[in-house]
Amino acid sequence: MSSSFEKHQKRRLVSSYFSVVLSIALVLFLLGLLGLLVLNAKKVSDHFKEQVVVTIYLKDSAKQVETKQLEKSLAMSDYVKSTEYVSKEQAAEFMKAENGEDFMDFVGYNPLQNSIDVHLKADYVNSEQLEKISTEALNKNFVDEVSYDNDLVNLMNDNVKKISFWVLFISSIFTLIAVLLINSSIRLAVYSKRFTIKTMQMVGATKQFIRRPFVWKSVRLGIIGAVLALIGMSFVLYYLNRTFPELGLLNKPILVILLFALVFGLGILITWISTHFATQRFLNLKTDQLYY
Amino acid sequence: MPDPILKLKDAAIYQGDSLVLSNVNVEINQGEFVYLIGKTGTGKSSFMKTLYGDLPLTEGEGYIVDYNLKTLKEKDIPFLRRKLGVVFQDFKLLNDRTINDNLLFVLKATGWKDKNEMNTKVEEVLTKVDMKTKGFKFPHELSGGEQQRVAIARALLNNPELILADEPTGNLDPQTSVEVMEVLQDINKNGNTILMATHDYALLLKYPSKTLKCDENQVYEVVQRKP
Repeated sequence: MSSSFEKHQKRRLVSSYFSVVLSIALVLFLLGLLGLLVLNAKKVSDHFKEQVVVTIYLKDSAKQVETKQLEKSLAMSDYVKSTEYVSKEQAAEFMKAENGEDFMDFVGYNPLQNSIDVHLKADYVNSEQLEKISTEALNKNFVDEVSYDNDLVNLMNDNVKKISFWVLFISSIFTLIAVLLINSSIRLAVYSKRFTIKTMQMVGATKQFIRRPFVWKSVRLGIIGAVLALIGMSFVLYYLNRTFPELGLLNKPILVILLFALVFGLGILITWISTHFATQRFLNLKTDQLYY
Repeated sequence: MPDPILKLKDAAIYQGDSLVLSNVNVEINQGEFVYLIGKTGTGKSSFMKTLYGDLPLTEGEGYIVDYNLKTLKEKDIPFLRRKLGVVFQDFKLLNDRTINDNLLFVLKATGWKDKNEMNTKVEEVLTKVDMKTKGFKFPHELSGGEQQRVAIARALLNNPELILADEPTGNLDPQTSVEVMEVLQDINKNGNTILMATHDYALLLKYPSKTLKCDENQVYEVVQRKP
């Protein structure tokens, strides 16, 4: 008979702890994802910035050696990530493929120019730097025109600034919500034991003796929740790394390990502190105060 | 003559901000069995709570098992309660564990370490209340009378100098009340001092003893008429 009661008790305990573990796991998981986002926000914005192309159009009179020289000097400069020479024939092929018709059929000749597509390093993708690079290129007499989308660059920089601010802001809010949610789950769990806590005090147990098993139990739930959150984060990280290998999410494993350790530590710390204060609250109440 | 186990002098008992009892002058000596009677709401429970440190003594003097109630610090309350045995009307057993575990918890909480000694002590107190064979059961599997016996056994664990029983028969039928009373009487005969709050006058008649009455904010000793 007692064994069936014990089983029933265990089932009740497991189901009540389940919600605590789940809320800890979900909150830490979201927090971890935000951490990943913060860690990789620069990489992501750099990735998009480096998609911006500066096209240097060359005059038809430009000699091959001059073109090679320019391409080489660009490739060696600090601000360039990569360069690509696009001949007027290649450009025509691209255009043909893009439009689905050969414009040379009705124009009769190839009006396009030879060009060099320059991808800049992310730190140099801003209006001032682009103008400087453009002026420098235009000084060469075989360069006809330098083209880039200045509005897009400005828009992108503004958005990166805004997004970075909001990511940090939301991360802070999420951290606060994480602490409050876990704290509230634990307080509810401890609240349900308030009369047990008071009885323990009545038989001569010290506050520390009563608090210890509550804290240890919560820390164990925190560890389980944190481990579940880390498993979830690992899956997301694996998937993102496979889908967007160019982001190099695992390029700095030490940062990822630190983030995982931080999430794990937060799981323990939040449950520890929350349980400490929740039990302390009921330990400090007089018996009559437990009823309201 | 040895010092009394409990001494209150000009004490006032408060429940929150409201005065419940004033000018309380009470002395209880080693080995006595004392009743505390009075109607519901006259302050019996508040009186008991003040004695085990659940309510502070702010006016008058109070000494109990060598503790000064007036200067009692929060950190000293557990140690005061270890020298007292408290029995409640609603038993207050830990429902999530067996009777043995209830008793073992108290021993561990009060500093016992040796497992064999603890088991021996548990068996000893359960034998005293005739519950030796029920240690494996959960509280909800016992009758009210049996739960109260366990609560008395729990109160005996640390050989208390004074047992405070706050209406221990309040939740029991008359027959079971007598059985629990017999247990308390036996314990008293073995030298334990007991202060028992009750409004069960039938028990007073059956087991006459020194009686204090709470009435109109006062506590005074009453003399029972011989039948």
